[in-house]
Amino acid sequence: MTPITWPEFWIVFGICAVTMLACRVLPLFVLKGRELPERVSEALGFIPSAAFAALVANDLLTPGMFDAGLWPAAAPLVAALVVVVVARLTKSLLWCAVAGVVAYALLMMI
Amino acid sequence: MLGYVAIGIPCGILSASIGLNALQVFIMCALFYSGAGQFMIPNMWIAGSPIASIIASVSFVNTRQMLYSAAFAPWCQGVSKRLAFWFSATVTDESFGVNLKQFELGGWSVERATFVNLFSQSSWTVSCVVGVVVGNAIGIPLAIAAFAMTSIFICLLVTQKMSRANVVAAVTAMIGVFACKCAGLSGPAIFIGAIVGVACAIVYSRLREAKRP
Repeated sequence: MTPITWPEFWIVFGICAVTMLACRVLPLFVLKGRELPERVSEALGFIPSAAFAALVANDLLTPGMFDAGLWPAAAPLVAALVVVVVARLTKSLLWCAVAGVVAYALLMMI
Repeated sequence: MLGYVAIGIPCGILSASIGLNALQVFIMCALFYSGAGQFMIPNMWIAGSPIASIIASVSFVNTRQMLYSAAFAPWCQGVSKRLAFWFSATVTDESFGVNLKQFELGGWSVERATFVNLFSQSSWTVSCVVGVVVGNAIGIPLAIAAFAMTSIFICLLVTQKMSRANVVAAVTAMIGVFACKCAGLSGPAIFIGAIVGVACAIVYSRLREAKRP
């Protein structure tokens, strides 16, 4: 991985910041108290589940991941299951990060 | 408040792992201010995603803020445009819940809500910058940093409201990502997968509506 450079930072951050500001501010001024169309708010409600699932899948699943044997690919999946349990019990991002890292490190040592 | 510190410090540490410095992280916290977004950028950078794909995916996730903005619109009637702007520009997932509850209880003003937002943002910014300093000092191995982010996304996913349509969105998004990768489209996989998930969930809820007598 190459570290991010200043020009790259400005492009990524600048555009993300502008879309974020637009999403935060525009509905308040455009709607003037009216509600969002039901279909739109329903679709927006699906985005977090779909996006977080996509991010998790991107990290955990790769075609041909079991080619190098079962364990190197299965270890992150097992660690992910540990995180799921911790998430259900604690609902805490911090505990999930800690549990995930510890489980991953321990499983990689096996 | 403590929640922001607990997550801001890891966010700073992980940002440092892709070479962001304290000034860059400060700028992001001050002008972008998004927990999920600030985790997504380092995560996708480590995964080698192209810049266009990072921007599209993060912006797509940003759109959920439109729901919050729309929900607050009735309470911002009659306040000055400048205050309404400041308030809406600093809403986040966490402070949204707190403020909406207070507005519904009554006796809450946009000034106070903005104060809550700015206070949250300050603690987030300070924690993230401290995280960068800590991250640079301890130097966390990349694989560990990457898995910490995966764990955070798992937590964000598991703590979503698990309605049937949301489960459909999550499962089909995962299948979509895997299919993209199989087809050699690993760059835009996250963005395409997320759109596939949302589309499938919409179709699913339409079909259920149609079935209802």
